[in-house]
Amino acid sequence: MISLKTTKLLATTAMLLSGTMLAAQAEDYTITVWAGGTGDTSNYRYDNIVLAADILEREAAIRGEELNITVETQAWSGWDDFKQAVTLAAEAGNAPNIIISGHEDIGPWSQSGLLRPVEDYVDFDAWPLNAIYPNLYEISSYDGVVWGIPQDAESRPFYYSRANLKAIGWTDADIEALPGKVASGEYTLYNMIDDAKKMQDAGVVEAGKGFLPRPSNGPDYWQFYISFGGEMVDAETGKLVLDKQAMTDMFQFFVDAADAGVVPATHLGSTWDAFHEAVANDQAGFWHAGTWTVSEWKTKWGVEDFFGQMQYSLIPAGNENGKANTISHPLVYLLSNAGTDEDAAIAAELITIASEPRFNALHAVKSGKVALSDAQASIPLFANDRWAGIATTELLPHATAIPNDVEFGPYWTAMYKNLEASWTGTISVEDAVNALEAEVTSALGDQIIVR
Amino acid sequence: MRTRTSLLGLAFVSPALALLFAFFLMPVVLTTVFAFTNMSTSTGITGGSHVITGNLLRDLGNAGVDDDIVAALSEGSFSVTPETLAAAAEAGVEPRFLGEIESSLMGQSFEDARSFESALKALPSRPTRIRDLKLATEPFERSILNTRYSSRAAMETAIASMVPDAPVDTVSAIAEASYTGWRWIDGGNFQTLLDRPETIRIVLNTVFYVAATLAFNVFVGLFLAITTFYLPKTGAGFFSVLWLLPRITPVVLYAVMWKWFTWDNGFLYVIAEQLGLPAFNYMKGSVPTAWATIILVNGFVGASFGMILFSGALRAIPVQQLWASEVDGASRWQQIRRIILPQLRWPILFVTSYQTLSLLSSYEQIWLTTNGGPGSTTTVWALEAFNTALNNYTGNLEYGMGAAMALILVAVGLILSILYLRMFRFDELVNKPRIEF
Repeated sequence: MISLKTTKLLATTAMLLSGTMLAAQAEDYTITVWAGGTGDTSNYRYDNIVLAADILEREAAIRGEELNITVETQAWSGWDDFKQAVTLAAEAGNAPNIIISGHEDIGPWSQSGLLRPVEDYVDFDAWPLNAIYPNLYEISSYDGVVWGIPQDAESRPFYYSRANLKAIGWTDADIEALPGKVASGEYTLYNMIDDAKKMQDAGVVEAGKGFLPRPSNGPDYWQFYISFGGEMVDAETGKLVLDKQAMTDMFQFFVDAADAGVVPATHLGSTWDAFHEAVANDQAGFWHAGTWTVSEWKTKWGVEDFFGQMQYSLIPAGNENGKANTISHPLVYLLSNAGTDEDAAIAAELITIASEPRFNALHAVKSGKVALSDAQASIPLFANDRWAGIATTELLPHATAIPNDVEFGPYWTAMYKNLEASWTGTISVEDAVNALEAEVTSALGDQIIVR
Repeated sequence: MRTRTSLLGLAFVSPALALLFAFFLMPVVLTTVFAFTNMSTSTGITGGSHVITGNLLRDLGNAGVDDDIVAALSEGSFSVTPETLAAAAEAGVEPRFLGEIESSLMGQSFEDARSFESALKALPSRPTRIRDLKLATEPFERSILNTRYSSRAAMETAIASMVPDAPVDTVSAIAEASYTGWRWIDGGNFQTLLDRPETIRIVLNTVFYVAATLAFNVFVGLFLAITTFYLPKTGAGFFSVLWLLPRITPVVLYAVMWKWFTWDNGFLYVIAEQLGLPAFNYMKGSVPTAWATIILVNGFVGASFGMILFSGALRAIPVQQLWASEVDGASRWQQIRRIILPQLRWPILFVTSYQTLSLLSSYEQIWLTTNGGPGSTTTVWALEAFNTALNNYTGNLEYGMGAAMALILVAVGLILSILYLRMFRFDELVNKPRIEF
């Protein structure tokens, strides 16, 4: 449970002396916060740090100290640009103090020395960090060290248009029973293709809009791998796993969907706007997206009665090898190696205060995320939000997370590239899986188990 | 006097030399260096440190390192002894707090930081801030797990302090394996590229893209130059400026305009819908339309470049030759075939060779429009190199592999340049003209 000692001794001397001697002097800090994948509804991801700074300043004032904290925030709506910016800024020595990113970045960023382990700066036995669910800390840990504080979590359900299901003869009772049938494995992804085809044949939805998968890369695609029985990590050795059969079945599923005409072969790379437009206006039959997109559909795309318009469930199983599932991709507050140890200590205090259940509830409810603690779930704002409650109690228990392994990035990139290649029909499914195998085994060697 | 002159010349040239060094030589040299490494996000660029982690110990165990050594290295404890107390005093831990540690915890040992910290929290003079408390635990710690050492020697010393009996070569091997930075991997990146089945697809995409765009550039450029040549001067000027728009429009704006033009519900979409033709997102909706889009996007930029050069060259053709041909009753087509085209040989060759090289390394218009899609059907070599090294969803920036791809591009460019110089006999082009007009 210890790490990053190189700079510590000097810091110890400086801090312990300064703590006693210079307490009354005014202290000014500028803390930079960069957040990735942060759209319009996720402003509390960084605004909570600003609120925390106010509280920390007030706490200092009560102790008779003058503490001035300037928080500079910057948000990126996507991930490519954000990760590029963080990585290159860190190489140039200009990393932000607080990074809000996906937990899977912990592997490579901790190895490269970009991060300070957050466990050296915060107290997990004290409020509010002791309230956060322990399994979330497992997700924000890598190699026995807790590197990040969970900032939010979500799940990624499958959605159905109630109107379009009814148009092909489903009753309300059938639609209500659907999530249960999905969870038990009775209703599979191939049943979904059949029903999407029915909708298209009946003219309920346009050709190619029966099934709308995510139009770009995302953790979501690993859900389909799990639906066909895939495992990302070997429980025993902790190594990454490529299950060739599951990967083949998953690639084949998207090829079959394209062959059936329910999704275009060129769907990947289409736009999010077209996606939201279609699903919010009942122009699609089946789709999958994060819990947070419900907020977007309401605020940006005119969905008024979400529960009346759409049904949701886990991602259905693909075949008898797999299971219905969902992936949670928690974002974490990370401390970078930027600035002095004192800057990092202040940043850590800000993260701790921003993890107050009430602050986390602001973010979770506004952006459609789940609760990180029982305390957060009981905050009235959160408790009275039906969707946030469902996402936490019904979906999250079935959620898995992608691994923090340092080599997962190359595996993920290669998986998506070959999925795309087979989906577009550029190469056969068999060749795509073999290419994926060749690529990961040459890049990762014995760090990945191929089954 | 002579020395002074040459020094002056050198002084004039030196800014250019400095710029050449900084912006051309250094990048090429660095690309070459990077290409033979496994540099990536996780290794960093500037070098790494040495750290023993749980995963490394697991791997060392699997690789046959003695279990006792692995167990010893994974140990960690906090002990309150006269030595650690002295170290804490030296590190600046507050004396009263230290006194309390000594009186209540002397001789005790704790297995992990959390239990030691909770013991310290019970003391009255404990630091109020958690970071200060954690720093105060440091001098009491005995462990090297997850500690970053800046040099290999420091790591070896640390390992030896934990396992004094370990053989020197084992210590050295563990220290070597604990390095987090990049390593030389000889031609590993090039071998991986050779082994990847997608490499050939990207090569074919690149060849198709360069050839098709080049053909468009040259033919349209030539067509525009010749047609404007025969137009009255004012009209010709207007058309020339119009065709320059793609080149002078900022590339992002230009790409956005193409999006409006080809996107869902865009200009073409609406027209096609009215005419009952298939209406979809032409930029990303199908492979042929995606190719057509990026070839036109780049083609229009290049066509204006060709047009300017060809127009200039046309003006250099002695107009008496055209008058004479008209006297002889030559048609426009005959003028173009027999007089104009032969004299445009050098500009055509120049545009061809120059555009080949610039198209080979261009990716920005593709990135901003189809982004290599749908799927990766319009991904070209330069775009793939850029995505590999600097821009991808998982944030896994493979600088080494990207540099290897860029280096191949540099090599191909150099070989093509030499071929063009030989094929088109540029030396003759720059010779003194044999006929003076």
